[in-house]
Amino acid sequence: MSEENFSPQDSLALIQGMINKTKENISEKSVFFLLWGWLTFIACLGQFILKHVINYEKHYQVWWIMLVGIVLSVYYGSRMGKRRKVKTYIDESMGFLWTGMAVSFFILTIILSAIGWANTVFPFYTLLYGLGTFVSGCFLKFKPLIIGAIVAWVLAIAGAFLSYDYQMLTGAAAILFSYIIPGHLLNALKKEKEHNAIANV
Amino acid sequence: MFNELDPILHSQLRLAVISLLISVKEAEFTYLKDKTNATAGNLSVQVNKLKEAGYIDVIKQFKDNYPQTMCKITPKGINAFEQYVQNLQAYLHR
Repeated sequence: MSEENFSPQDSLALIQGMINKTKENISEKSVFFLLWGWLTFIACLGQFILKHVINYEKHYQVWWIMLVGIVLSVYYGSRMGKRRKVKTYIDESMGFLWTGMAVSFFILTIILSAIGWANTVFPFYTLLYGLGTFVSGCFLKFKPLIIGAIVAWVLAIAGAFLSYDYQMLTGAAAILFSYIIPGHLLNALKKEKEHNAIANV
Repeated sequence: MFNELDPILHSQLRLAVISLLISVKEAEFTYLKDKTNATAGNLSVQVNKLKEAGYIDVIKQFKDNYPQTMCKITPKGINAFEQYVQNLQAYLHR
């Protein structure tokens, strides 16, 4: 790019061009949605099978697999941090949002256990998932996440009218629509971008 | 009355850098280099001019034992950019 003075029209075009270049690469976020989506989905279905089908007493132990999510999130997070050359306001906002969500899930678990409402945990969790997904979808301007959030909210209401066992299934369905499907769509977007980048070389 | 365009910003590479930094929280020098297709030497000179004007902060640090130069727009830089765009609009609509 040369350094001589240029016309105001050129200035405007340059500003627009540069701002477009910083547009968020949302497809990189797919790894977290897929990781947490599949883990939670497996845990919900696993608990349903252990409790409802096998009648295993300690069915809730299946949730220990979420520790895998924490370990892998820290690993992927630090790897992405090392490669990242730019920090956007969306990156920062998403980080704050999901840290706050994780703390809220933890506190909600304590509250529901303390007041003896542990059997109603799934509609509350689904409600919170819906909130996090909705805000993420709005930040990233990614419609499948917003639609997934609305589905999660509907399933949170539906879960309130079902027994604890079947709440696990509404929880699993909410995860499928709000995390897994949007996560795979983000992944497809990422592959398409990579393909286009190679084609343009 | 038409205001003069800020000479610090009315230069292709400096305006490109400020336009990139206005949209992000902070960016590495190499990110600016990739997006502007400028040479490291030329970019370094222009980044320094923006820094001297107080429009950007340049933070030199180490990340995993490698030197890293982070650039971030300052409130003064944001004001200057906004004023520049206003003057540009006034110029184009006169």
